[in-house]
Amino acid sequence: MRPINGIYFLLFTSIILSIVYLHYGVTQTHTKLTDNFEKVFVEQAGQFATNIENELSSLLDSNKTLYTVLKENPSIREDLERGMSFLVTPSFKYVYLLYRDSRGKYRYLLDGSREDKGIFNQKLDVDKQKWNRCYETGKDQILMQKDLDGLWVTYLKPVVNQERVEGVIAIDFSTSLPTTIAEATKPIENIFLYIFAAIGILILILLYQTILNIRTKKESILDPLTGTYNRNYLKHFLKSINPARYQIMMIDIDHFKKINDNFGHKAGDMILQQVAQTIKEEVRKEDRVIRFGGEEFLVFLHKKTLECSAAQEISFRLKERIERRTFMYEDTPIHITVSIGITSNPEHFKDVPEAIKHADEMLYIAKREGRNKIIFDVHKKSVQNSAQKSISEVKEAIENDRITCYYQPIVDLESAKTVKYEALVRMIDTDGKIIAPYLFLDTIAYTSVYSELTKRIIEIVFKQIKRHRIPISINLNLSDILDNMIFAIITDEIQRNIDLADRLIIELLENEHNSDIENLRNRLIELKSYGVKISIDDFGSGFSNFSIFQDLPIDTLKIDGSLIKDIETSKIAYTITESIVLFARKLDIECVAEFVHNEAVRRIVKDLGVTLGQGYHLGKPEPEIEQKTLMRMASEISA
Amino acid sequence: MKKLLLYLSLALTLVASPIEKERSIYQTILRAIFPEKAVINVWLDNPKKYEIFEKIHGVHVVKNHKDADILILYHSFDVPAKDKIIFADGYLVFEHFKNRIVGGFYWQKGRPNLVFVKKNLKDHNITLPPSLRDYIEDDM
Repeated sequence: MRPINGIYFLLFTSIILSIVYLHYGVTQTHTKLTDNFEKVFVEQAGQFATNIENELSSLLDSNKTLYTVLKENPSIREDLERGMSFLVTPSFKYVYLLYRDSRGKYRYLLDGSREDKGIFNQKLDVDKQKWNRCYETGKDQILMQKDLDGLWVTYLKPVVNQERVEGVIAIDFSTSLPTTIAEATKPIENIFLYIFAAIGILILILLYQTILNIRTKKESILDPLTGTYNRNYLKHFLKSINPARYQIMMIDIDHFKKINDNFGHKAGDMILQQVAQTIKEEVRKEDRVIRFGGEEFLVFLHKKTLECSAAQEISFRLKERIERRTFMYEDTPIHITVSIGITSNPEHFKDVPEAIKHADEMLYIAKREGRNKIIFDVHKKSVQNSAQKSISEVKEAIENDRITCYYQPIVDLESAKTVKYEALVRMIDTDGKIIAPYLFLDTIAYTSVYSELTKRIIEIVFKQIKRHRIPISINLNLSDILDNMIFAIITDEIQRNIDLADRLIIELLENEHNSDIENLRNRLIELKSYGVKISIDDFGSGFSNFSIFQDLPIDTLKIDGSLIKDIETSKIAYTITESIVLFARKLDIECVAEFVHNEAVRRIVKDLGVTLGQGYHLGKPEPEIEQKTLMRMASEISA
Repeated sequence: MKKLLLYLSLALTLVASPIEKERSIYQTILRAIFPEKAVINVWLDNPKKYEIFEKIHGVHVVKNHKDADILILYHSFDVPAKDKIIFADGYLVFEHFKNRIVGGFYWQKGRPNLVFVKKNLKDHNITLPPSLRDYIEDDM
């Protein structure tokens, strides 16, 4: 498009220059023609005036002035006037002689004109300043009479006697030639005038359009409330940037909903405007601030060099400033904080949108960890395994109903009968391939997609419980129970399926140390109040310890597979398992041995007193629950 | 100030149309002759020239010469009211009444010409402002 614009500009400029050149040519021709005519007339007038002067010179002598001679001799005046009248033509309209009296007025001495004839000594009002110049210099003068009707040029010639100017011969030209030339060129001049006016208007319209375009373009990329850029701008911006030259900062106003709820939307808008203003003040000219969502701002911080990092300094400064500031709304002080997630190296991601999502994940962690925090991407591996699924792929799978569960039986080791199932999540790829959870769970951890997945799994499991009327367990982290959002999803789903809740088992994995044990306990009690069973998964490894049973209401304990796997050969594994079983029996907690991969192991754990087992030897995870087992379980339950 | 006004009116004659030029000159002349009068009643012997005077501020064109403060003659060689101030528009009329006329205005060779007669001004106790004194002729 740009080269075409260039051609248009060149064409437009060439046309304008051609017109200007043409106009210049016409004006020059007009001037030259007028000048030539003027020259011809002036030369003729000069010769006529010289002839008159010669005639007058013969009358002059040293004793009498021209005035005296002519006053005393009316007959000479008559003769001279008759002679002068011979020079009068339609072009040389007036031929006359004036003198300047003692009061500086000009009066007639002779007048050869055939009309408007003046009489001797009659005053004639002339342009004294110019006529005086003739008197004072003693030289011929040519006066352009632009302001006098019917006259074009006046030629003045002084009559000198005894080195004194005693009169001025005046010849007025009145010709229609200059007017004719002017009239002839007038239409052309008018055409040029119209063309220039049209070009002027065109340029004004173009300018106006350009201003409008710029304004519209600016408005389309700016958020009207905050004055920051909007998502439209982001779309264009992402096309043009080198991710290695930026750091991405995702900022979210903590508890913004509360501000809207407590003070109204006007207050919310005011906070958004002022936070946006503060962000703009803290960042630099080369950085970009974009309103990403409701109360979310995305900031692209430019890196002057590949190594430099402004994110840390700017984010801390911004967080401190907002935290310290008191926002006033109708005399009410409002204090707010912000949480910030940062992607330091966007170039390590598949594309910039992935890097933005990563900043969003960091923001999510900041929120989970109590808000008013800044989380850098140091917690997370920024380079992903190529088989690893992206957040958007998982989100798409949830939306397109490509999330499913495999069910592994949990068997009574005495009777060898299946008593319940463990639901294991799987994602179905767009080409129908089954994706194992380790290829996507890590990616979506701490994001809203993880919450969506949890909700989806609970829905699927409740559907299965409803269909088959069997207990099924799902896996969750202890931290999920502490997460307000996820806990709300769990309780919502349980309440929606309250009549099936007593068949739901939640297997909790202790993947990190939890300091908020009291809150955890309360939430588990709440879940149990619906009839839900609580199980501790992978006990005997990782963060698990016996004190958990003191604090939390546990129904079942699943002995970690790493102990069971080695139980045949490792005395330590055997002893630990024995201790766990003994401990569980004392507390009346049901024990499940995981990873029962052969008959020998099954026999060992059974002999140790473990009542339930799970593993490939007892049953592999299958996409459907086995009908035969179901029928048997149904008959047992009814019996 | 009056000089400035005169220059302004004369300057106007250079750029304005002939009618506007005349109007401007007559406004200056009438204000100079009747400096004290709020409304000057003018009688003309040429109805075609009414449009020049009707648009002059402070000037009222009268139909009856008896009501006039000044008679402006374009072509009459007979004055209907002997006691009135007369002013000529045209050199021939001016010449004809030069013994009693206060002044005249006429075009000659494309140039506007203005003349006041000193003796006749004195007879009517008219004192012109300095800006117009240059146009007073002692002896006609």
